[in-house]
Amino acid sequence: MSTDRIELLQGTLELLILRTLLPGPSHGHAVAKHIQRTSEDLLQIETGSLYPALHRLEGKGWIAASWELSDKGKRARYYRLTALGRRQLVAEQSKWQAFTRAMGLVLHFTGDEP
Amino acid sequence: MTFFRKLGWWVHRNRREEELGDELQFHLDEEAEEREAEGLPPDRAARAARLHLGNRTVVEEQVHAVWTWTLLEQFVQDIRYATRAMAHNRAFTALTVLSLALGIGANTAIYSFMDAVLMRTLPVRDPASLAVVNWHSREQKRDARGNREFVMHSMSGSTYEDAGAGVTSGIFPFPAFELLQKQSSTVFSAVFAYYPNRGANLLIDGQADVGRGEYVSGDYFRGLGIAPAAGRLLVAGDDHEGAPSVAVVSLAFCQRHFGGADRAPGRSMLINAVPFTIVGVTPPEFFGVDPASAPDFYLPMHANLLVDGAGLNGVSRDQYLAQDYYWVEMMARLRPGVSREEAQTVLAPVFQRWVSGTASTPGERANLPRLTLLSGAGGLENLRRQYSAPLFMLLMVVALILLLACANTANLLLARSAARRREIAVRLSIGAGRVRVMRQLLTESILLASLGGFVGVLLAMWGVRVLTLLLANGREDFTLRAEMNWRVLAATFVVSVLCGTFFGLAPALRSTGVDVVPALKDVRAGTGPNRRRFRWLSLNRALVVAQIAVSLLLLVTAALFVRTLSNLHAVELGFNQQNVLLFEINARQAGHQDPEIATFYANLLRSLAAIPGVQAATLSQASIIGAGRQLDIRVSGRDASGTRILNTGPRFFTTMQIPLLLGRQMDERDQPRSSPVAVVNELFAKLNFGDSNPVGRHITLGGPRPRDMEIVGVSANVRYQGLKEPFVPVVFIPYDQGNWPPIEEMTFALRTTGDPLSFVRAVRDIIHRTDVRVPLTNVKTQVGEIEETINQEIVFAKLCTGFAFLALVIASVGLYGTTSYGVARRTSEIGIRMALGARREKVVLMVLREVLVLAAVGLAIGGPLALGISRVVESFLFGLKPTDPAAMAVSVSVLALAVLVAGYVPARRASRIEPTIALRHE
Repeated sequence: MSTDRIELLQGTLELLILRTLLPGPSHGHAVAKHIQRTSEDLLQIETGSLYPALHRLEGKGWIAASWELSDKGKRARYYRLTALGRRQLVAEQSKWQAFTRAMGLVLHFTGDEP
Repeated sequence: MTFFRKLGWWVHRNRREEELGDELQFHLDEEAEEREAEGLPPDRAARAARLHLGNRTVVEEQVHAVWTWTLLEQFVQDIRYATRAMAHNRAFTALTVLSLALGIGANTAIYSFMDAVLMRTLPVRDPASLAVVNWHSREQKRDARGNREFVMHSMSGSTYEDAGAGVTSGIFPFPAFELLQKQSSTVFSAVFAYYPNRGANLLIDGQADVGRGEYVSGDYFRGLGIAPAAGRLLVAGDDHEGAPSVAVVSLAFCQRHFGGADRAPGRSMLINAVPFTIVGVTPPEFFGVDPASAPDFYLPMHANLLVDGAGLNGVSRDQYLAQDYYWVEMMARLRPGVSREEAQTVLAPVFQRWVSGTASTPGERANLPRLTLLSGAGGLENLRRQYSAPLFMLLMVVALILLLACANTANLLLARSAARRREIAVRLSIGAGRVRVMRQLLTESILLASLGGFVGVLLAMWGVRVLTLLLANGREDFTLRAEMNWRVLAATFVVSVLCGTFFGLAPALRSTGVDVVPALKDVRAGTGPNRRRFRWLSLNRALVVAQIAVSLLLLVTAALFVRTLSNLHAVELGFNQQNVLLFEINARQAGHQDPEIATFYANLLRSLAAIPGVQAATLSQASIIGAGRQLDIRVSGRDASGTRILNTGPRFFTTMQIPLLLGRQMDERDQPRSSPVAVVNELFAKLNFGDSNPVGRHITLGGPRPRDMEIVGVSANVRYQGLKEPFVPVVFIPYDQGNWPPIEEMTFALRTTGDPLSFVRAVRDIIHRTDVRVPLTNVKTQVGEIEETINQEIVFAKLCTGFAFLALVIASVGLYGTTSYGVARRTSEIGIRMALGARREKVVLMVLREVLVLAAVGLAIGGPLALGISRVVESFLFGLKPTDPAAMAVSVSVLALAVLVAGYVPARRASRIEPTIALRHE
């Protein structure tokens, strides 16, 4: 594993999956590729954690799965957001944004030492 | 995640597994296509995709984990796998389960007896708030005349003297009970007294029978919180002089005599010829307050004066209220919120004040009994005192057996884990975690142990029955009832699981610690040094050594008990025990009075002696072995202390075949009115007359009216009062001369031709014809009576021999297995040796030498251990030391022989190895 890749924080993978599925249904491989591409290859999703995460989200009822034909005409398991998942995404996203803002404030602090 | 979704997934897990496979395959295909698009050739693209995915099985497992309850599923998986493995290796499974079942079964059986003795609580309301009242004093010193200086001048009951710790007892004078009744109401809600009736003649609807009863004070049933099965129980109003004579009977007694419980109330019965009306029946589970006895009937305390008052066992009117006659036992129920300690703090000073008022000398005042309160939850201590030590001894022995079985199983598992090295290595190499594999192996061994436990419980049920028979040995009053209850079963379960973990851990550690690569290559063991393997091999040997050491312990124990028993059998009795029938009759309890009772016994004896086949007949106040009477005997005014008495009928010495050394025995010449005579034994003559001839000399029997008796004969010594006692000085006195001691029950002895028990019917007929009210009790042969007195030694000898044999078999199987395995591993080495010219005998010797080294180490460890531990059994031995060299020598030789046999078979097989075949196998 190359060093310039970022280790995922606990729980962030689920948020990433939810966000990736927001525009429309997708299968596991496409989800992984999409995250990798949009993060400019900084985030590499381990297959060993992707599929358990997908099934865990399905278990929570945040996403639903069905077998459909892919663009190339093959049977693939497609995941899509449920209404519950959509609400969850909004909540998690705002939580994450608050977190990154807070981290940024602290890390970029330039004022006088207390 | 909701429970139901998980459940749904779990139900459809097969379909979901397929789907997951498809999903991952699709992922692989996509990935491969992408790599191809980047310019890789198809095969390398597919490979790259697989590498990218990682261990597919692991991914599947992880997704799986999301679906279900992983632990549960893996457990089910392990169980299924273990069951398959066990079914595959039937011989191995059967062997281990059997040895474990024997070990666990023996422990369960003995433990259920321990449970019955130590854990049982009284079947009454709230047993925890019951307290038994006891007293404790310092050691009671004797004064110059041999009397103890103590406020208790006479007693009826038991005291327990513990070396150094003083004397403890639960018997009190009746006034002490009245004192507590009056002054304990702040701490006790009830206090009640009881006193055993040790046997009475009953007459119900014209049928004679014997039974045991209990005299109880008015608050007995209220205090215990017992509800009647029918009618009413005794109340305070029943217990005073002049009250109507009423009785309560036990349900078992009621069913025996009247049928259902409802039929008893209102009926009447004669107890020792006194009429009683039955008013109620106790509930089925109630057995009184002493687990060692189960009374047939309960009478008010004051009825004692009517029923037993006349005899030696009874309490006279003077004694009833005497302050120095100790007899009643007491129990109390604590008030809610009051602890035993608090109650004792309150009552000890009360008792102290009272008892100091009864002391008559400074010596008595210096050692007053102190009142103590013990837990009453389990009832009285009698059972515990009688059986705790022997049961504990047996429990130690069976614990050793279980240890042996565990070591044996561990050994077999170790040998098998060697055979499973490849399987385990495969599983480890394809990604199974070490912990996971160990868990699976432990599941297997615990399953084995549980199976052993299950079969063990079945064995224990049978064992409890056998043990009950052994311990009771025909005694009718045997009351120790062991049963399987949840405590016993829980203990068995815990022991099984512990065993499984214990013997499974080492093999599991070993198999999962393998070096995967050589294991997979199937490098034949023994080709090349491997330190790790050597270490585990040592464990294997250590287990064999331990088994030999433990076996030696058990063998030595068995040998000690067998020698004890043979010593007891070799004891010189002084009379001939063969072909003698013994039985007891109590004519006084059936209503015969002085002086007619002597005639009754004399007539009965004449009728019995006339039975065809009876060579001689006699009677005595007790059998020789069961006797124990000490009265005041004086020789020319001097106290002949330690002299025992036996009141006998005519021709006692002929019937028992006791040799007469001088003079004559007592016979028909000696009538109640003729001049008093006595026969003394050799020891008495020697102690009191030295070398001079005692025949014709006179001795005096003390008592209410001292009696002068002429010695008419000297007999050989006999084993008075038991086999283990040394000879004591004995004076034999005609039972019907003088009025002291009073004539009570009599033991008849008939010397018969042929089996004594075949005469029982004739005896019964004669007694029935003579007086229908008189029941016949304690019918046994003289041989049977002696066996009864050494029953504990017989049981120990039988059980320990059985256990030692079992241990020997288990250890031999273990040694055989280890040696066989060693030979199998060294097949090629032995092949090479033989190819190079080693002779067969040499190979046999080589293998045997290793076996003997193991045995020698085992004996070297076990020997000192046995010497040390055998001291524990010292108190159970007779006529030998725990370090008995003969027992030691026999045990060592038996063990050595077993080891040789167990080692020779595989050694011989090793010598039959064909070098060509052995080497081709490489």
